[in-house]
Amino acid sequence: MDEKEMKVIELQDVKKIYEVGAEKVYALNGVNMSVERGEFVAIMGPSGSGKSTLLNLIGCLDRPTEGKVYINGIDTSELSGRELTELRRDTIGFVFQQYNLIPTLTAFENVELPMIFKNVAKHEREKRAEELLNLVGLGKELQRKPRELSGGQQQRVAIARALANEPSILLCDEPTGNLDTKSGRQVMETISDLNRRGVTIVLVTHDPSTAAFAGRTVRITDGRLI
Amino acid sequence: MYFQLARRNLMRNKARSSLAIIGIVIGVMAISSIGVFGESLKATVMENFQNVANEVIVTPAYSSGYTSIDRSTVTKIEKMPFVDRAMPVKTELGSISVRGERGALTVYGMDESAVKDLFKAEKGSIRLKGDCVVGKHVAERFKLRAGSKIILGGEEFRVSAILKEEGARFDINPNNAVILSIKGFNKIFSRDYSIIIVKLKSIENVDSFKELVKKTINSREKKVSVFELRMVLERIEKTFKQITLFLMAIAGVSLLVAGVSILNIMLMSTLERTKEIGVMRAIGAYSETILKIFLLEALILGLFGSVIGSALSIAGGYAIDMLILGSAKYVFTPQAALYLLEGFLFGVITAVLSGLYPAWKASRLEPIEALRYE
Ligand SMILES: Nc1ncnc2c1ncn2[C@@H]1O[C@H](COP(=O)(O)OP(=O)(O)O)[C@@H](O)[C@H]1O
Ligand SMILES: [Mg+2]
Repeated sequence: MDEKEMKVIELQDVKKIYEVGAEKVYALNGVNMSVERGEFVAIMGPSGSGKSTLLNLIGCLDRPTEGKVYINGIDTSELSGRELTELRRDTIGFVFQQYNLIPTLTAFENVELPMIFKNVAKHEREKRAEELLNLVGLGKELQRKPRELSGGQQQRVAIARALANEPSILLCDEPTGNLDTKSGRQVMETISDLNRRGVTIVLVTHDPSTAAFAGRTVRITDGRLI
Repeated sequence: MYFQLARRNLMRNKARSSLAIIGIVIGVMAISSIGVFGESLKATVMENFQNVANEVIVTPAYSSGYTSIDRSTVTKIEKMPFVDRAMPVKTELGSISVRGERGALTVYGMDESAVKDLFKAEKGSIRLKGDCVVGKHVAERFKLRAGSKIILGGEEFRVSAILKEEGARFDINPNNAVILSIKGFNKIFSRDYSIIIVKLKSIENVDSFKELVKKTINSREKKVSVFELRMVLERIEKTFKQITLFLMAIAGVSLLVAGVSILNIMLMSTLERTKEIGVMRAIGAYSETILKIFLLEALILGLFGSVIGSALSIAGGYAIDMLILGSAKYVFTPQAALYLLEGFLFGVITAVLSGLYPAWKASRLEPIEALRYE
């Protein structure tokens, strides 16, 4: 019990099988893995090895075909769709390769959005959105729309948004994949800074210099950890 | 904030949203202005009948063999409570001769005051003492003027007045008739009364009057029948309502088209925004929240279109009324307002119903599938 509580993420013999026509694709083929509170884990592997699939299962965006995923000791297979949504909202932050900001909303409103979904009071949520954007160094770009921001700036807005409801886990899928070296570096510095503040981080990449920021690196090929 | 999100999504493709709104505007306008016009038309027609609403007509009970009403019955009715005035009429087919030209027409015998009450003179002034009045068609047929002489059943009468042409009436029609005093009538024919036009004190007395006739005059045998014009008026009113409803249903087709266009627009929007929906689901939006945002978009389109459509309908109803009825006084009645409200509600409901399916579809997307969509 004590041990489980230490583990923020635990995967037990997780398989994800896609049926493409008559063929079965084993995107994940028996993954066992655990992440402790405050860790910074990088998942590395070639394209198509199952990295995104793994991260989406951890993030409760998808359910495994077989095996169990525990988040903070909770068996996610027992949760309803609504409960999974709440888990994502309150416990998990997502950063995607394509930033995925809502184009009609300003940077500030994008950061507010997860708090709106959680019914956080307006005053509190505005205060927090401003703090977060200051934290990622965008205190001056609050009212800009995503298309008025550079790739690096957009990714930092995305990080601020991911942190809005104070998640215990931050999941990043190739966050520097679309960025030049300099912005990529800034983004990675922001992320490792968050880790120092206690946020557990799982980050997918195939770039060794990005993985170098992590405390531990896990390798994956053909749906298996090695 | 959800409102802002919805509003900005609509602003993203202004041309598309405008088209959807125009569709609703046209639909709402068609429904409301036809409703308002129908109501005005009905009101205009009913206005002509309003003063006969408290009239009842007493006729012989043909079903039990009576073909006329005798004097004592007339007197009984005249003396009944609720009766403001009773106008007994005698009717017979007669032959007329004017300057050697002959013809057949209806001859009525009635009191001068009753004639004055029911009809208006176009030429001359109504006087029945030794004189007669003639209907418009008779005057035209025999080229009669006020002061002309006619011969009816061997007796000579002077035409004191020519009556204005009358529209459809339920009791007697003077257009092709000569009206004499009862005395004058009795000189030529020996016939009892054929009809009594009874004006009651109020429309509320109709039922009591019928009851009284049943208990007294018709107590032993059914001698007379009582027709109420009220019922005829109700029938007319109902018919107008049905016609208006039918026209509005046709106009409703245009709203249906608007609905389909909203459905189409929103389905396209759902598809284009699949990835955004996935993102929102990933960062903590319930599927109901997605449903809400899309329905809100449909609602905004509907409200916008309906407000504009209703405003234009007032103008449209005014224009049609002026054009066809020559007066717009019935555009601003409670009934017309009801039709405006109806058009407005139909517009909003159509938009929301059309948005329901796309919104439901958007809300049902699996977060991971939506996110992966390119
Ligand atoms: N929805 C899907 N349907 C079918 N196959 C899929 C689907 N998603 C992923 N895959 C397959 O699963 C494997 C792993 O994919 P993914 O996790 O995206 O790899 P990575 O992120 O490491 O590039 C790939 O072979 C991919 O084609
Ligand atoms: Mg991937």
